[in-house]
Parts: sequence; structure tokens; C-alpha cells
Amino acid sequence: MAIENKKGWIFWFNPLKYSSDKWLYALHRLTGIALGLYLMAHVFETSRILDGPITWNSTMVFLDWPFGVHFGPYILSGILLAATFHALNGLRLTITESGLLMPKPYRIEYPYKAKSLRGWNMVLKILLGIFMIIISIFGIVYIFTGVIL
Amino acid sequence: MELMLKGFGEVVKTVTLRVRRYDPEKKELPKYMEYKVPVQRGMTVLDGILYIKEHIDPSLAARYSCRMGICGSCAMIINNRERLACQTQILDLGKDLIKVDPMGNYDLVKDLVPDLTKLFRNHESIKPYIIRQEEKVTGEFLQLPEERELYSMFTECIMCGACLSACPTMATDELYLGPQALAQSFRYIADSRDIGFNERLNLLDSKHGVWRCHFAGACSDVCPKGIDPALAIQLLKGMLAKNVFVKYQQKPAKIGPDRKSILETAQS
Repeated sequence: MAIENKKGWIFWFNPLKYSSDKWLYALHRLTGIALGLYLMAHVFETSRILDGPITWNSTMVFLDWPFGVHFGPYILSGILLAATFHALNGLRLTITESGLLMPKPYRIEYPYKAKSLRGWNMVLKILLGIFMIIISIFGIVYIFTGVIL
Repeated sequence: MELMLKGFGEVVKTVTLRVRRYDPEKKELPKYMEYKVPVQRGMTVLDGILYIKEHIDPSLAARYSCRMGICGSCAMIINNRERLACQTQILDLGKDLIKVDPMGNYDLVKDLVPDLTKLFRNHESIKPYIIRQEEKVTGEFLQLPEERELYSMFTECIMCGACLSACPTMATDELYLGPQALAQSFRYIADSRDIGFNERLNLLDSKHGVWRCHFAGACSDVCPKGIDPALAIQLLKGMLAKNVFVKYQQKPAKIGPDRKSILETAQS
């Protein structure tokens, strides 16, 4: 009797041996889930203000110094990176998935390199990388030092 | 002549093939078994599997037919990537341990044989034939070479099913049409002889149609024939999005003179 041989959701996060698009896909899913969880936590966190200023202040201090370690800026940097990546990659996907900047169907030639993953799509991927670097430098310096570059 | 054949048939090295075995008659889960295979120059993974079958373990099951990348029977996961076993050189992989798995996202019949029913049913469901209004067609449909270029790449599909195995959407969505069927539907919609866009629209524009694709590009990456199913799906999405505002127009290609009349005029 034949048995089921599905790869399952764990395969979303396995971009090894595939193209760069699969890496971005895996990261997009991962950051999407992380941001979704963060959003819920964020709503809960800001709702603490309803319990008065003392609760609010202690929550803020706890989030900045969780368990006695000054870990707050690292969490913020992580959220910043996740949100930036998710937004920029989302823009790239909006453009490419609506068929814009996609090549016309072409003639297959050896060695087989899919043009939909190259060309303009590659330009967008490189732009995504450049913007990621710029935004993360500015953002992380601001989060840790409060200085706007 | 002897110079040309130098090194031919010599055993270069010995590799280990780690093959996933599953026997439907024994009620056991799939498990890996290792086989030592002497490798000659020019030996493919399929040759290695056949060597195991002939010399070590005749119970190993694999599907193959043409051994030259035409029939698309021997697609399997070799070192964690979908490849045709007959086109993958063992020495090109450059490793001493080669992991051979059956393709994922399909039901497993035995050892390396997946049940491709899903692939063929999905392909069937998008109506893979030219749809016309005429009841009786007398001559051939006329088409320019430029019009053929718009879809010719997708006619190369050998239905090996590697794209469905590499697709991350397919890994969780049982009813998804899959890159192969969607690329084929684009092939018929883009064909200037066809007017079946509206007939296929309901299926494509559904929950398990084109919008389930999130452009991971794995299908285009693994296709052993160099077809670009991801491109077809993105172009289909653009087509469907435009169709909301401006209805997609398909002009059926003209029909040429029928053969009988040509023969008659030639004879007279």
C-alpha cells in the first residue's frame, strides 16, 4: 500500500540546495511569523498602560533589562531587521508576482538557467540587500546610541 | 582507437549510495540502507542503482525507461535536490556519500517509486488541449513563428514531476495545482490558436490555483529541461489581475484551406 510522503511545513524553511529565491522565501515566512507573534506581544505590552503608570514603568524596565541583562536593544534590532526585510521583500514580490519586470517566454538554452530568477529579479534582490544594509546600520546605531546618523 | 578508450571501464573510486527503502508488504517505516558501488567514468546515479539491483540487492525498486533524460521517469532526490538520476554523473557530484530519496509530496509506492497520479490528474484538470468554438475543423490552424515563441518553452515538459516535489506550497497544500499544471495552462492560454481562457479561469483563479504560488522559484531551479514554470505562473497572475479591469481577449487563429481542396486545385 502506498504511503504518504509529504515534505510538510518544515520544508518551507529548508532553502539549502535551491536558488536565492528559496532563501528569501524561507526568510519571508520566518520573519512573517516572528512579526505576527511580535504584534500580539506588542498589543499586550502597550495595554499595560491601562493599569497605571507604575505597572507601565516596571514593564518598560523589564523589557529593557529582562532577567537582569540589558537585552532590550538587541530585541529591538531584531524586530527592525525582520520588519525591514519583510517589507522590502514584500515590495519585490508585489512587483514580480504581478508579472511586471518578468522576461517574456524565451527559448531554452543549455546550461539551463531560469531567467525569471535572474535579470530584473536579480536587480531587485541586490537592491533589497543594499537597502537592508543601509537601514540596519542607521537603525541599529540609533537603537544602541540614540544618535541619528 | 585505444587512446580514445583509455580509462574507459576502469574503476575510479568507490562511493556509498544511501538509498531510502520502503517495502509496502512489510509494515515498517522507510529506512536508509547503504550500498558500496564501484564508479567508472561516465557512470550516472541510475547506473549505480542498476548496479545495486544486479549485484547486491535485486529487491530495490526504481522507475526508469530511456536513460537519456527524455522520458522523465527517474526523477528522484539526489543529495537533497530533485534531479534526473540518468542525467546526474556520480563523479560530478564530487562526494563519496550519495543520498538517494524518492521524490517528496507524492505518495510512495515502493523504494524510489513515487505515485505520480496527482501530477497527471492536475495536468488533466486544466484542459491541456486547444479549445475552439468550431464544431468541425476543416484545415490546419495558422500560426506565425513569433506566436509560437510565446509558449514554445513550456511544450518541452517531460512530466517528470520534479517541480511538484521541490515546491514548498505543494509540501503543505494537498489540492494545489502545482507548477507543472499551471505552466501547462499558461502554455495553452498563450497559444494563439486557443480561446479557452474563460474555461480555465475558474480553476486558476481559485484558492488552490495561481495565488497559492509565493514565488520561491524552486520549480524553475530544479527543472531538468530548463523550463521556467515560475515565470509562467507570474505571467498568469498578471493576466488574471488585468482581467479584472480589462477582459482578456483571445482572438482564435485563422483556419487554413483544407487539404482536399488543395489537392483538387493541384490536380486540375
